[in-house]
Amino acid sequence: MNIFWRELKANFRSLIIWSVIVALFVLVGVSKFSAYYGNPEMLAILDAMPQELLEAFNMRAFNLTTLSGFFGIMFTYFALLLSIAAAMWGSDILSKEERDKTVEFSLVLPVTRSKLITAKALAAVVHCLGLLLVTWGASIVAARPYDPEAAFFSFLSLQMQSLFVLQLLFLAIGIFLGAAMKEYRRAGAAAIAVLLATYFMSIISGLHDKLDFLKYLSPFKYFDAGMMLHESRFDMTFVLLAVAIILVSMAGAYATYARRDLYI
Amino acid sequence: MSIIAVNNLTKYYGKSRGIVDVSFQVEEGEIFGFIGPNGAGKSTTIRLLLSLIYPSSGSAAIFGKDAIQHGPVIRQEIGYLPSEVFYYERMKVIDLLKYSASFFPGDHTARMHELAEYMELDLGRRIDDLSYGNKKKVGIVQGLLHRPKLLFLDEPTSGLDPLMQRKFFQLIREENQRGVTVFFSSHILGEVQRLCNRVGIIKEGRIVEISDIRTLQQNNYKKIRVAAGELNPAYFAAAGVTDLEHANGVVRFFFKGDINTVVQQISSLNVTDVTIEEPTLEEIFMHYYE
Repeated sequence: MNIFWRELKANFRSLIIWSVIVALFVLVGVSKFSAYYGNPEMLAILDAMPQELLEAFNMRAFNLTTLSGFFGIMFTYFALLLSIAAAMWGSDILSKEERDKTVEFSLVLPVTRSKLITAKALAAVVHCLGLLLVTWGASIVAARPYDPEAAFFSFLSLQMQSLFVLQLLFLAIGIFLGAAMKEYRRAGAAAIAVLLATYFMSIISGLHDKLDFLKYLSPFKYFDAGMMLHESRFDMTFVLLAVAIILVSMAGAYATYARRDLYI
Repeated sequence: MSIIAVNNLTKYYGKSRGIVDVSFQVEEGEIFGFIGPNGAGKSTTIRLLLSLIYPSSGSAAIFGKDAIQHGPVIRQEIGYLPSEVFYYERMKVIDLLKYSASFFPGDHTARMHELAEYMELDLGRRIDDLSYGNKKKVGIVQGLLHRPKLLFLDEPTSGLDPLMQRKFFQLIREENQRGVTVFFSSHILGEVQRLCNRVGIIKEGRIVEISDIRTLQQNNYKKIRVAAGELNPAYFAAAGVTDLEHANGVVRFFFKGDINTVVQQISSLNVTDVTIEEPTLEEIFMHYYE
């Protein structure tokens, strides 16, 4: 428990910074929306754009002039921001002990390495939840002036649930990289590289039928905001796939961290 | 049962050598000196014993338990002062120490304050505001507050001023009198000589000598200085003689073997002065490294 609390405190500042970033993002995003809101000219512009481009940025399914449509677009960016935060936290929680050379203290205490991972991972999950609630709260506050209907709130709630799964997924991948890589400096970079690579896969997978298989490789394709908006559900196959990746990453983290030499 | 039993412990970092085939025992209540220059493998050995890193081959047992398998249990009874101390920078000293104490059963608050007072450590300051020497003091308090049965000290005095060094040695002696076993790694031989009962000498990853510190000094080498009018240094060049030097009518050398042979040699000279003394640990040590 003591590791958990210390970790929670130590990373609190990072949570605050990310919360400010996300809140600002929502604010700026919604202020742009005020120009689209109920604006038929905007629809005309979008209709004139090439369908492939709209598809690539996942904009075809949404009517940008409605609040729900706009948040459908926002979902992609929420997913990116929250995933980046989770991947960075995940890769950092273990590797920072080596970077700051505190392993000779923290791992000479009578704790097992797996206990350390568990405590730190739980603290990071709490931070992810914190950031998610900030995103949720900021969205609700920003949407208020447009008198959202009940459907908007349930759409938003579906978004948040899927964002949480994405956060956990990238957190787990980050933790695995931090645990497995002895070159602690590269763990964070590797986590971000994985994230960006899968994000670009999600963009190009929509461009061509032959690239469709990429949707299995890109977590950003696991949750389709269009499906959430129009059918109020997720595709369970992808939820299960996400859970599987989380479990495998965490198992990998426990196995590799317990066996490797710490970098001192 | 030995407190520490190391058997053919070997560690390679990829292809580069850490330690090779290291074996030794440390008995209960001993202060065991572990000496060698930088890079000889002292810290590697300690880190292996603390299971921060894992051996390439060989094994180590502490309190009779395998050091890797039972690491967390063993570490309940261990205090460790690394050569360079690093703590969570944004914490206050007192919070760091309380955090450390919370991992050990029992209440250690009184001992913590007692040690901090003795080492003149200000508990209210933040870790990142502390000087190197003050961080070392935090390390000492943190390593001792849970009353460990075995202490690992890795070059413990670096950063401490002479006064603090003395207080620290006094503290270690008191701990030792309470029955605490101490594993003292250092390249400063004077302090090893002052504190330790037995020493292991490590060179390029291998143990070259393990010996009682007195035996090491008494039985091994004599430092001999002879001053005489007409002196040919070649006269002393014989088996057991090393480091033969000749300057200004004075011959100096180290001798290992039956002292009578040298005394007889000297007696046939017309000498103006003779000294035969025990070499310092430093001189013995240098000898191993030539």
